Amino acid sequence: MRAIDHHAWTNRWRGWHPAEKLLPAGSLLILTLVLPPLTTAPLVLAGMALATVRGAGVPLKALLSVLAAPAAFLLAGVPFLAVSVDFAEGVNLHLSADGLRLALTTTVRALAAMSCLAFLILTTPLTDWITPLRRIGVPAGVIELILLIYRLIFVFFERALTGHQAQTARLGYSRVDRSVRSLGLLVSNLFQRALEQARRLEIGLMARGYTGELRVLAPKRVLSWPRLATGLGLVGLVGAASDLLARGLS
Amino acid sequence: MTAPLPLLAARGLEYVYPGGVVALRGLDLNIERGQKLAILGPNGSGKTTLLLHLNGTCQPTRGEIRLDGQPARYDHRALNHWRRRVGLVLQEPDDQLFAATVGQDVSFGPLNLGLSAAETAERVREALESLRISHLADRATHTLSFGQKKRVAIAGVLAMRPEILVLDEPTAGLDSHGVTHLLSALQQLHEAGTTLVFSTHDVELAYAWADEVALFHEGTVLCQGETAAVLGDREALHRARLRPPLLLEVAEALGADQDRVQPTLRSREAVLALLRERLGEPASAMPVETVFPHSRRGPPA
Repeated sequence: MRAIDHHAWTNRWRGWHPAEKLLPAGSLLILTLVLPPLTTAPLVLAGMALATVRGAGVPLKALLSVLAAPAAFLLAGVPFLAVSVDFAEGVNLHLSADGLRLALTTTVRALAAMSCLAFLILTTPLTDWITPLRRIGVPAGVIELILLIYRLIFVFFERALTGHQAQTARLGYSRVDRSVRSLGLLVSNLFQRALEQARRLEIGLMARGYTGELRVLAPKRVLSWPRLATGLGLVGLVGAASDLLARGLS
Repeated sequence: MTAPLPLLAARGLEYVYPGGVVALRGLDLNIERGQKLAILGPNGSGKTTLLLHLNGTCQPTRGEIRLDGQPARYDHRALNHWRRRVGLVLQEPDDQLFAATVGQDVSFGPLNLGLSAAETAERVREALESLRISHLADRATHTLSFGQKKRVAIAGVLAMRPEILVLDEPTAGLDSHGVTHLLSALQQLHEAGTTLVFSTHDVELAYAWADEVALFHEGTVLCQGETAAVLGDREALHRARLRPPLLLEVAEALGADQDRVQPTLRSREAVLALLRERLGEPASAMPVETVFPHSRRGPPA
């Protein structure tokens, strides 16, 4: 998670208006879902990987590690899609062409769709989503909550990490039973600290005139129409290519 | 002639925590306009609790805080007005920084003052500039180092342009480079007219940098006065469980007479010069290391 966050803040396309990334990636996502997957999905996957790695300069390793978790889930599901069970003469397992096809199309389609989302989260930091969220009418309270959670995740992550290190240094995780106990202590300690932190944060915020609303200046992002047009144009190209391929194959 | 009215003062301040722990035991404190006041005391003596009274976060059990000689009130409007004038910077920056980026966090205070987006952006720029962290404006808060977070926390309060800036242990956790940076930024604020109040357990810091020291011990102010006078008072220091500043002890050991100790021998350079004089070396033999470059009291000309 910290790796994702790091790349979101440091990639080459960070300063772009979020719409320039959201609209093309979102359109590709829709294409992936509506067009025949066997021709579209590889193109989308390749396109998004290129955009993420070559375009935004996010290391391939980061992209792969984001895709690894959903890919593992997908692979775990493949046998259940590919194999069909026949109860006609006792219990009978067999592979079917239909089942294999279904497994393959589901996997590539899901992976391609994931690559669109991976592109978005790896190239756009959370703060850039706030203005679009506000524009589509998400209530201010929810947005404040998102921002506050985002900030505090890192504070507590750090606390949890140092707490864990301190416990490890005193052999808190040297045996299974000790590990369970140590982890329990760590979690309850973090909970207490969270409450204290909330109280102190309120003092700090009140000192700066907090009256129940966490208003901050929204980041300024200028929409570049040429970039947006290029992005959407490339999406159109992918759609057309996929369509041609599908016709060629059939 | 009557003495000038203190900008902010505490009279007979007592505070008992809800659990029954007595934190402040009837203390008096005066903060004059334009001064640099150090509240000096050991850890756990109640300094933070005192600072929380200075902007109305805590309401005293007995006694009162006076703003411009008027007893402070604790209704919503009065508190808002009070906190505009008195800015408080907490010791732990993570207790204060809540926004995702530095620029956004600093914009919080000015927006609460009701300023427009353009004015706020200007205040943010100015505050970041005065702490020399303009390059951090777009950085994510959680990627900053401790020293950077500390300066961002100060910038967030500074952007509201308080008359009095109250800092809780501003140098705690900073390396010597960070301390030098921070102090020179604070010195600039001071020269621009901001009244500075800071708590510290560091006798050397108070000696080198404060105009006035309030010696704090177990919930009371033992004495408040001119820095050299308070820190030259062995008996009071001993009662507060603090040691005299090293510079002062060295100056005395070198035979500087009491008159010369205050205030000319408060800088490191001056004491070093005296040491060289005693050793019979020419004044330029050793490089002078400048730790507090903006200290008002430089080496004697």
